[in-house]
Amino acid sequence: MPYEVKEEAGKDGRKIFLIQKENLLELMTDLRKQGYDHLSLITAVDFRDRIELVYHLQKSASNFELLTVRTVTYDSTIDSVTSIWESANWDEREQYDMMGVVFRGHPNLKRILLPEGWVGYPLRKDYDLSKNQYVNMDDEGNDRVSFDPGDGW
Amino acid sequence: MEEQLNSRYVELNMGPQHPSTHGVLRLKLLLDGETVKNVEPIIGYLHRNAEKICELDYYCDSLIYFDRMDYVAAMNMEVGYLEAAEKLLAIEPPERVKWIRVIMAELNRLASHLVWAGAFGLDLGMITPFFYFFEEREKILNLFTEICGSRQETNYMSIGGVYQDFNDKIIFKIKQFLKQFPKKMEEAYSLFIKNDIFISRTKGIGILEPEVALSYGVTGPMLRASGVPYDVRKDAPYLVYDKLNFDIPISRGKDVLARCIVRFEEMRQSVKILNQALDKIPDGPYFNPKAKKSLMIRLRGEGDVYARTESPKGEFGVHLVGDGTVKPYRLHVRSPAFKNLSILPFLARDVLIADMVAISGSIDLVFGEVDR
Amino acid sequence: MNLLTRIATILGFLGHFPAYALAYVIETIVVIIFGTVAVAGMVYLFRKYMARVQIRVGPNRVGKFGILQVMADGLKLFQKESIMPSGRDDLPYKMAPVIVFIGLMMGFIFIPYGQLAWFGNLTVTHSDVSLVILFALIAIMPIGEILSGITSNNKYAMVGALRGVAKDISFEVPMMLSILSVVIMASANVSNPLDINGIVQAQSIPFIILEPLGFVIFFISMMARASFSPFDMGESDSELVTGNTTEYSGLRFGMFYLGLFGTIFLGSMIISSIYLGGYNGPFVGDLGFIWLLVKTLVLVIISLTVWLTMPRARIDKLVTFGWRILLPLSFLQLVVAGFLTLGGIA
Repeated sequence: MPYEVKEEAGKDGRKIFLIQKENLLELMTDLRKQGYDHLSLITAVDFRDRIELVYHLQKSASNFELLTVRTVTYDSTIDSVTSIWESANWDEREQYDMMGVVFRGHPNLKRILLPEGWVGYPLRKDYDLSKNQYVNMDDEGNDRVSFDPGDGW
Repeated sequence: MEEQLNSRYVELNMGPQHPSTHGVLRLKLLLDGETVKNVEPIIGYLHRNAEKICELDYYCDSLIYFDRMDYVAAMNMEVGYLEAAEKLLAIEPPERVKWIRVIMAELNRLASHLVWAGAFGLDLGMITPFFYFFEEREKILNLFTEICGSRQETNYMSIGGVYQDFNDKIIFKIKQFLKQFPKKMEEAYSLFIKNDIFISRTKGIGILEPEVALSYGVTGPMLRASGVPYDVRKDAPYLVYDKLNFDIPISRGKDVLARCIVRFEEMRQSVKILNQALDKIPDGPYFNPKAKKSLMIRLRGEGDVYARTESPKGEFGVHLVGDGTVKPYRLHVRSPAFKNLSILPFLARDVLIADMVAISGSIDLVFGEVDR
Repeated sequence: MNLLTRIATILGFLGHFPAYALAYVIETIVVIIFGTVAVAGMVYLFRKYMARVQIRVGPNRVGKFGILQVMADGLKLFQKESIMPSGRDDLPYKMAPVIVFIGLMMGFIFIPYGQLAWFGNLTVTHSDVSLVILFALIAIMPIGEILSGITSNNKYAMVGALRGVAKDISFEVPMMLSILSVVIMASANVSNPLDINGIVQAQSIPFIILEPLGFVIFFISMMARASFSPFDMGESDSELVTGNTTEYSGLRFGMFYLGLFGTIFLGSMIISSIYLGGYNGPFVGDLGFIWLLVKTLVLVIISLTVWLTMPRARIDKLVTFGWRILLPLSFLQLVVAGFLTLGGIA
C-alpha cells in the first residue's frame, strides 16, 4: 500500500482507520472497491487548531458493518469524495455550511441549510453567537442576509 | 421574464408554501410543458441548528431537541440519541427500560407510518384515507398522553431510564389498541391497494435501483423497497430487538408502489413486535440509579461514539464527541430524511409534475428532521 | 299551465304585455334563485356526506344541523377583499368567473322540470333544439376557466388551465357522440328529438336500459367536465395549488366554486333527463319534479362517492383514456343505437 493506515478500536467497539488527509482519496477508493458501498455520514469536529473529519462507511455485503475513517486537516481543506459516493454531495455541503470545511473537487459546493451570504460557520467553536443575523427576501425572491433587522421581522 | 418568454423551459418554484410539500420544502423546477426537466430541492427553512444548541446544554437536556427533529416519531429520535449518550456516558439502562423503549418506539413507528400514509393519499388526491389513518394515530397519541403526559414532543425517556413506569392498566390499553388496529389499518389500506387509479399512479414510477440507492445513502423503507434488506434492528441490534421475532419486509418493485407496500408491511411487523414485547416485558426498576435526577447534570463523557438506530425514515445515526465536561463537545445527527431527499433530483428527472409529487410523497419527508 | 302563465295570470291586472314581460323577469329571478339554492343545498349535502364518510361530524354550528353554514360561507366570500395579482390582464381576468357562472345558470333554463302540483309545469323555456343550446351553453364554461388561467399571470394557473383544456376536449367528443345516439333513438318515437322534453317523452323505456354503454360514457364525461377527483388535475391542490383559480379570492372565487358544484348538479339533472326518464316515473301524477329531483340526487351521491374515494388520475393517462377507450366505445354505441332504432326496439 502506498499509504499508511493506523487502525484502532473505538470506545464502542468500532473499527477506526486513521489516515493522512493527502491519502484520503486513495484509501476511500480502495475501500469502495472492497465493498464499502454505503457512506453513512461525514462529520467534521472542530478542535480549534484543527478540524477532524470522520467518515462512517458501511458494507452492504456483510450486514452493513460499520467502519470509521478519521483524518485531520489543519487548513480546513480536504479532498471531496463525491466521485466515489453520491451521498457525499449533500453531506459535504452540510459540513461546508456548518464548519467551513472546503472540499476540493466538489461539484456544487454551496451552503445548504443556511441561506447564501451567511457570515461565519455556526458549528465552529469560535462562532460569535451574540450577533444576530437577519434573513429577508429581496425583489427577486432570493434570500438576503444582513446584520440589521431592516424592513424584515 | 423576457428570457423566460423566449425559452423553451419554464422555471417554477414549488414551495416553501405549497400544499404538497409536507412542510417547508422548496423545489425549483425546470419545466418543459408538464415534464420536469430538473429539480433542485432548497431546504433549510426550518433550520434551528439543534446540534449547536445541544453543544451548549447538558447531556440530559439535549433530549428535547431530538423530540423536535422528527416530530412525528419523537420516541425513535429519543431512542437514537440515548443509544449514543448512554454509550458515551457508560450508563446501562435496566432491562425493563429497554423493553419499554422498544414498545414506545414501535408505537411511534406505527404513528409515523400512519401520518405518511395519510399525507401520501393527499398527495395523490385522496382525501378520505387521511382521516382513517389519523383516527388510528390519534389513539396512539392518546396512549402517549396517558403514559408521558404529552402527545407529540413527548420527552419521555431520559439517560438511563424513562420518566414514568408502565403499569398494568397501560399495558392493557395498548393491547386493546393492538387488537382493533390491524383490522382498521387493512380497511384503509384496501382504499389504496384495490384502487386501479392508485396503482396506475404508483406502479413503475420513480424506479430506484439498489446500487444507486446505496450510493446516495438512502436507507429505511426506501432502500428496502429497492430490495436491500438493511434494517438496523436486525443488522446491528440495539435495545432488545435481538430477543424479538420479526421479519424485515423487502420488495423488488423498486417503485413508489413498492415503498407503499413495504411501509404497510412494516406496520404489520411492528404490531407483531409490540404483541411480543408486551407479553415479555420483565419487572424491575425503571431508571438506573447512577442517572437519577439529581446526578444527571453531572454526567461526564469522553471519547466519541457513533450509534445507529432504525427510525421510521431509515438509519438514524448520532455521532457524539465528549471532551470530559458535562456538555457534549460535538454532536452530529445523520438524519435519514435528509439523505433520502438528496435522491429526489435523480428520481424526478424527465417525469411529469404529478409523478414528481408522488415520488416526493413516497420519500416520507419530515422537515424538522431534514433541516434540524 | 306552466309557471310563466301562472305568474302572468296573477299579474293579469297589469294588462297582457306588461304582465308577461314582468312574469319573464320574475321567472328569471326564480331560476337564478333555484340554481343557487340547489347548489347551496348540494354543497351542504356534500359536506355532510363527506364528513360521514370520513368519520367526522361536518358543519353543525350555524343553524339547526349546520344548514346555514353554506350561507355563512357565502356571506364570508362576499365580504372578503378581492386580492388580485398585479400582472393580470384585467378585463378577461374579471370576466372569467362571470362566464363560468352565467354558463352554469343558463344551463338550468333548458332543463324540463316537469309538473309540480299547483305551480304547473316548471319548465322555463321551450325550444325545439334545447339540447343543442344546452350543450352550447355548457361549452362556454371551459372558456372561463381558460381565460382565468392565462390572464392571472401565474404559472400554476397556466398549467392548470392547459390541463383543463386537454381534459375537456378529450371528453367532449365521446359525450357528444353518446348524446347523438340518444337523439337517434328518440327520433323514432317523437317529432322533436333535439328537444330535451322530446327525449324525455320518448322514454317509455328509460334509455339507460336500452343503451347502458352510452349512459356510462356520458356519466364519466360529465364527471370529467365537473372536474372533481379523479378528474381534478386542472385544480389539483397537491400539485398546482388550485390550478386556474389560484389567484382568485372572495366573490370571484365563490363563482368558480359554485361552478364546480353547479356542474355536478346540472350534469346529474341532464343525465336523469336523457337517460333515466326525467320527470317520468311510476305514480307520477302531477309531481314529476319530485321524480327528477330524486333521480338527480341519487346521481349526485354516486358522483360524490367517486370523488371521495378516488385518487387523482394523471393527465396523460386520462387523455389517453378519453381518446383511445371512450371514443371508440361511443362510436360503437352509435352503431348499436342505429340498429336498435332500425329494428324498431326503441
